[in-house]
Amino acid sequence: MLKNAFLMLLSLAIAVGGGGASVWYALKIQDGVGAIRIGQWTAFPDIGTPAADPYSKARVAREGVLALGRAEGLSFVAEDDAAGDQLKRECTYRIEGGFPTARFWTLYAADQSLGVVETGKSRLAALQSYEVLRQSDNSVTISVGHQPMPGNWLLTDGSGRMYFVLTFYDTPIASSTGLSDVSLPRIVKAGCDA
Amino acid sequence: MRSLRAALRRLLHAVLLGLVGAGIVHIVVLLLVPEFSERDAWSRLSMASDLYRMNRLDAEAGGAPVVKSVDPLFYATACRFDLEEGMVRIKAPGNVPFWSVSVYDRSGHNIYSFNDHTATGGKLDAVVLTPAQMIDVRKDLPEDLQGAIFVEAPIGEGIFVIRSFVPDESWKPIVSRFLDQSSCELQDF
Repeated sequence: MLKNAFLMLLSLAIAVGGGGASVWYALKIQDGVGAIRIGQWTAFPDIGTPAADPYSKARVAREGVLALGRAEGLSFVAEDDAAGDQLKRECTYRIEGGFPTARFWTLYAADQSLGVVETGKSRLAALQSYEVLRQSDNSVTISVGHQPMPGNWLLTDGSGRMYFVLTFYDTPIASSTGLSDVSLPRIVKAGCDA
Repeated sequence: MRSLRAALRRLLHAVLLGLVGAGIVHIVVLLLVPEFSERDAWSRLSMASDLYRMNRLDAEAGGAPVVKSVDPLFYATACRFDLEEGMVRIKAPGNVPFWSVSVYDRSGHNIYSFNDHTATGGKLDAVVLTPAQMIDVRKDLPEDLQGAIFVEAPIGEGIFVIRSFVPDESWKPIVSRFLDQSSCELQDF
């Protein structure tokens, strides 16, 4: 009798614990259902629309997100560099390459909660396309790091994990047909503070 | 020996049953999260302000941002409305480099969005209304609604968000003023 009760409790514990934990985990990881990956960049084009999958809907409800609409823009998040290592706030990176068609784009360095990195200075850890210098072939090279750098410089500070958020505004790629042949800039690690 | 094997089999049975149960719990919890969340955008906004009140979403206006994941180079403002009380009109004066607008339903799904290229002369003047109210308005369009953008949304409660781009420091006061002077009003008809 006691053994039966123990087995039943075990089943219940696995069911409730496992079920709850798996939902929590599925909502926590960046790379979820409905994600589109281009190089190191991940986007959720359907998030926040009525057509979204149940995981995106739960994420929207849990985090209080008001997602950008199709006529507004599309956000990409990167958590790794081109070599597959996690992005670190104490490292310097180069973001280089062409950007897809958009009225303008913004790029910022973010912490775990995807809020902008606090730099402690009046300069934001953010850049936008009207202020960047371009190469003759219209590509852009951005240096990311704590020390000032020539050319386009994205300031970061602190230590720990970092994310890059790249958002294109008023862009044809937000309508899903354009997403297949979009190429996004590469993220290359240039060095790290020891 | 035989009793040990029987016990193991029952243990395995219990674990398998637990895993099937975990699958069911997973699906049930996943579907219930949107229903019961007290952290969704509507709940956060309702803690911050009333219906038909513009409420800044960016941290610039003081305090922590109400709704997260706002681009640092953007200012944003939101108001909640209830179409069952009547249609709602949103206006903002002035010219800024870029603005965009989204209409969300109660659970935070983006129903409709447009940007300044859609509007006549780049002026933000929009009316959100249900299809039934649209039929009434079409019969006799008031003079001052001629230039407005009509957004038909088959919803009751909803959220309206204006986002505006701040290209650099010098634009901050202008964009701030643009959002602070924006209005969100129940429109009599």
